[in-house]
Amino acid sequence: MSRIGTIARRTFLIGSVAVAGGVAFGTYLAKKPIPNPLLDDLSDGEAAINPFVKITAEGVELITPRADKGQGSYSTQADLIAEELDIDPASALISPGLPHQAYFNGVVLEEGVPFPGYDDSWMAETARSFMSVPAKIFEMQLTGGSSTVPDMFDKLRTAGAVARETLKQAAAQRSGHSRADLTTEDGHVILPDGTKIAYADLAAEAAQIDPVTDVTLRPPEDWKILGTPRIRRDIPAKSTGAEKYGIDFALDGMLFATVRANPGIGGVLESYDASDAETMPGVEKIVPISHGIAVVATNTWYAFQAANAVNCVWGPGPYPESSAQIWDELDAALENPDRLDHRNRDDGDVEAALNGASPVEAAYRIPFLAHAPLEPMNATVLVTDELCEIWTGTQIPTFVRDHAMKILGFERDQVKVYGQPIGGSFGHRLEGTHVNQAVEIAQAVKGTPIKMTWSREEDMTHDYPRPAAVARGRGVVSEGQVETYDLSVAQSGLTGSWMGRLTGMSIPGPDATITTGSWDQPFAIPNYRVSGYRAPEMVPISSWRSVGASGNGFLHDTFLDELIAAAGADPLEERLRLCHHDPSRKVLEAVGALSGWDGPSLGENRGRGVAFVMSFGVPVAQVIEVTNTPAGVRLDKAFIVADIGPHTLDLANVESQLFGGMIFGLAHAINSELVYENHAPQQDNYHAYEGLRLYQTPEFEVQVLNNGTRIRGIGEPGLPPAAPALGNAIFAATGQRLREMPFNKNIDFV
Amino acid sequence: MRFGIFLLAGLIAADDASAAGETIVIDPPAEGSVSVAQGLEAWGRIFEVTSHPRCSNCHTGPSDRPMWSGPSYGRTRVHGMNIQAGESRMGIEHLQCSTCHTTKDTDWDNANAKPHSAPRVAMDWALAPPEAHWFGQSSEQICAQLRDPSLNGDRDMLELAEHLDHDLILHWAWTPGGGREPAPYDLQSHVNDLLEWGTAGMPCPQD
Amino acid sequence: MKLTVNGEEYDVDVTPDMPLLWVLRDELGITGPKYGCGIAQCGSCTVHVDGSAVRSCQLAVGDLAGGAVTTIEGLSAPDALHEVQQAWIDHQVAQCGYCQSGQIMQAAALLDLNPSPTDNDIDAAMSGNLCRCGTYPRIRAAVKAAAVKLQEV
Repeated sequence: MSRIGTIARRTFLIGSVAVAGGVAFGTYLAKKPIPNPLLDDLSDGEAAINPFVKITAEGVELITPRADKGQGSYSTQADLIAEELDIDPASALISPGLPHQAYFNGVVLEEGVPFPGYDDSWMAETARSFMSVPAKIFEMQLTGGSSTVPDMFDKLRTAGAVARETLKQAAAQRSGHSRADLTTEDGHVILPDGTKIAYADLAAEAAQIDPVTDVTLRPPEDWKILGTPRIRRDIPAKSTGAEKYGIDFALDGMLFATVRANPGIGGVLESYDASDAETMPGVEKIVPISHGIAVVATNTWYAFQAANAVNCVWGPGPYPESSAQIWDELDAALENPDRLDHRNRDDGDVEAALNGASPVEAAYRIPFLAHAPLEPMNATVLVTDELCEIWTGTQIPTFVRDHAMKILGFERDQVKVYGQPIGGSFGHRLEGTHVNQAVEIAQAVKGTPIKMTWSREEDMTHDYPRPAAVARGRGVVSEGQVETYDLSVAQSGLTGSWMGRLTGMSIPGPDATITTGSWDQPFAIPNYRVSGYRAPEMVPISSWRSVGASGNGFLHDTFLDELIAAAGADPLEERLRLCHHDPSRKVLEAVGALSGWDGPSLGENRGRGVAFVMSFGVPVAQVIEVTNTPAGVRLDKAFIVADIGPHTLDLANVESQLFGGMIFGLAHAINSELVYENHAPQQDNYHAYEGLRLYQTPEFEVQVLNNGTRIRGIGEPGLPPAAPALGNAIFAATGQRLREMPFNKNIDFV
Repeated sequence: MRFGIFLLAGLIAADDASAAGETIVIDPPAEGSVSVAQGLEAWGRIFEVTSHPRCSNCHTGPSDRPMWSGPSYGRTRVHGMNIQAGESRMGIEHLQCSTCHTTKDTDWDNANAKPHSAPRVAMDWALAPPEAHWFGQSSEQICAQLRDPSLNGDRDMLELAEHLDHDLILHWAWTPGGGREPAPYDLQSHVNDLLEWGTAGMPCPQD
Repeated sequence: MKLTVNGEEYDVDVTPDMPLLWVLRDELGITGPKYGCGIAQCGSCTVHVDGSAVRSCQLAVGDLAGGAVTTIEGLSAPDALHEVQQAWIDHQVAQCGYCQSGQIMQAAALLDLNPSPTDNDIDAAMSGNLCRCGTYPRIRAAVKAAAVKLQEV
């Protein structure tokens, strides 16, 4: 088949939900207008001009439906609306709103299309635009995939502009002026004579007119908020202890609960004996729930103590019991033709190039990883005969609502989900098992609100982790250049595992996440192939910050570095020579300049590594300098350059996400993994899953470029280059090539 | 001459600490009743104790860094979190040991039940003084240190035994809780071995 | 059982082995100190007892022995900010923010003891507080800035 034909076929067989959505539901549902959910709940004199802007007698309330897990999304969403609405965002109330189709994420599924992030051709853009259809139909109000800014950039500014013009229209009708003669400033419409009418004062009239939708968005040079230095709105409260996270939420008469579920996730509770636990201090009730037991008590600590004292007999987990068996399954899938899931990159003739040459070969392993945010999973739930109210920090409010409906047999309007500020997630809160448990508990103590909190141990051992993977690279170098690059990756498919839990549906087709971050890199290598092999579903797995790219970034860039070393070329120069995407080249050039790159060596026992990964459309290059001390490797200095598209909305926050992402990547590369025995991870708290500490943290320099064509999100792309940059630096300093994470299996760190 | 000293652990410490320690009898053998060979056998057992991680991990000598060991660490390693006990040996200069190793005066049996939490005793947590260097040291080195008054806090046999009695941190080594492996034998046997070794004239393998 | 938190006296009816953290959070509704690990690995629950930093998940309320507890809610005078808090805002340290109550309480204890800490002092004092988001570069900068400000006062 011709290349165009192949691409066209892929476009329509992209494997996952696009097809399910487009074909199954047709254009009627895709085009059906979505009602404004705020209209259901308006008082007299209030206006909900669109799903994102509500004007009340008190002022302006902005709906910021993407969850804030620490990436600053509440602030950015409010600022996007405020920029066009002409209000001081600090003066506005914000609320994530109730879950609703109106808040579907039109961008999050784009990462699944078989076009690399640097491809902005018509075909690629068309395929991406299809992905909003299933997102809309499945009401995917979902925070993830670094999609908040690209999804909301136009949507929220438009919402702000529509609200502004509608308020002006209301003022025009009241004053007899033409709307074109009115202006707005700081929450007021200004009449030609300078008279100011507060938005709140216009709410009742604005509610009576059709929203003005023919709006033009302001050009960036006119922005007053976006792009200017400012303090993120949540930071003061987070510096005084005043921020109330989900775990801090309280209701009168509330009891505290915890659970213990089968450590083999999905396994049954065969029997339990709570007779000792029931007599312990503070215990109110012990009840069985799905796959486990729950304790309701007068204090979370009493609940923890009693839960540990319940004698539970567990059935086996429905997957291989040990990491050793799982590695065997992964090894068996790798390069097994029956397990080939997709081969989205196949340039030149790899087989011919490898034949007869003596290829460079390397084998890699990456482990299961827990998300382990500091705020453990929790949910406060009150169930009555008529209503279920849920207060929880979640990335998937519509799914949380639907699961509660199913558990309780309730209708949609009987379940309310109130999103709470989140103490870290990294993808953990793309799951809802803990909320389902809390709903079950609340049902058992109907009429009494309960706050269910997972102990750290429950959280670590019942996480749906980042999948483990194995990979093999083969390549050929010639005359100082990389000529042939062949990478095979085997892992289980996380999309099917995760979407299965969320929707109860099985997802057809290939799972792009197996090679996301390796097949889609902007390099032109004459013979260049990346193959994804799908191992059977084993441990239930999920998305972990940067998803497929978290592991594939390491695999792809490390093997490239090995080939460059074999060719005797300079790591930065050869990446630049191979890179054909202009914004990516500029990122590599800039990280070279920022780090003063003049080769990988920095003298005796010192070295630096460069790595490049494009993920979520964001090319990121990182350089890290290390010293090999007698006690172990020390991280000295790190440099990050990223191209986030044409606009930087909040530089301080972008920098924060970039170095935070790199630190997250370094932490896990150095010392973190989940090892399964008896179906359960053996790492149940931070003593065995350490992360990075302040003293290990290098100095950082960050530079943000704006050469890309489309605005991008930045919560994840800083992560994938971290591990390969570190591994490449350690190779430069010590000559030792690290092919298995965590690196501290094979080398010490200080 | 025969000594018969009975001391209750914690008698000198605060009242409510009495719940915390184990009652120890300090009853040395009669002078001249222990041969050098028997003394060396006793020393062998003492060395098993002093070189055990529950003891040696906090006897790190010139280093002010305590050590961690146990199955979940794979191997003995430096205490996480960049802990530096400083000259104070209690972390006063930076991060006090007592920030995490809080004082636990009550409910001694359950004080350290939670696996991997910071061990607690009814006194301030601290590293041993630098001269009491046991971690990674040989039997000969530790023996030489323990019998040298200039390196053992100017203590004779009885004072060493009393020190074992008073210092509740040392008691913790035999009741570490939380699934940790206790030091070998028990506190009373260790005190008896010390007294036997002392009565034999503190012989060392290198003698 | 009586205890003093942020200058207020409270009487709670709990078992003496309950960690101070859970007395503060679930009995008194003082939620600045956070539960992260329960085993002194993360430092999110850090409070001051008689001025010293303590992991409140490790201190049984029965062992408080009359010590005065200060949580982040009581670190500064009402409606004012401690210099450490101001520095945390100025440097936009927080991401998710969940560990920052503990980080700030630890930093305040450090500066109380050592008004001009070196880089090594900061690394030694602040490495018991875990941040999963990776805010460390800005924590370093904020501690230094707060030290300068406190010296000016």
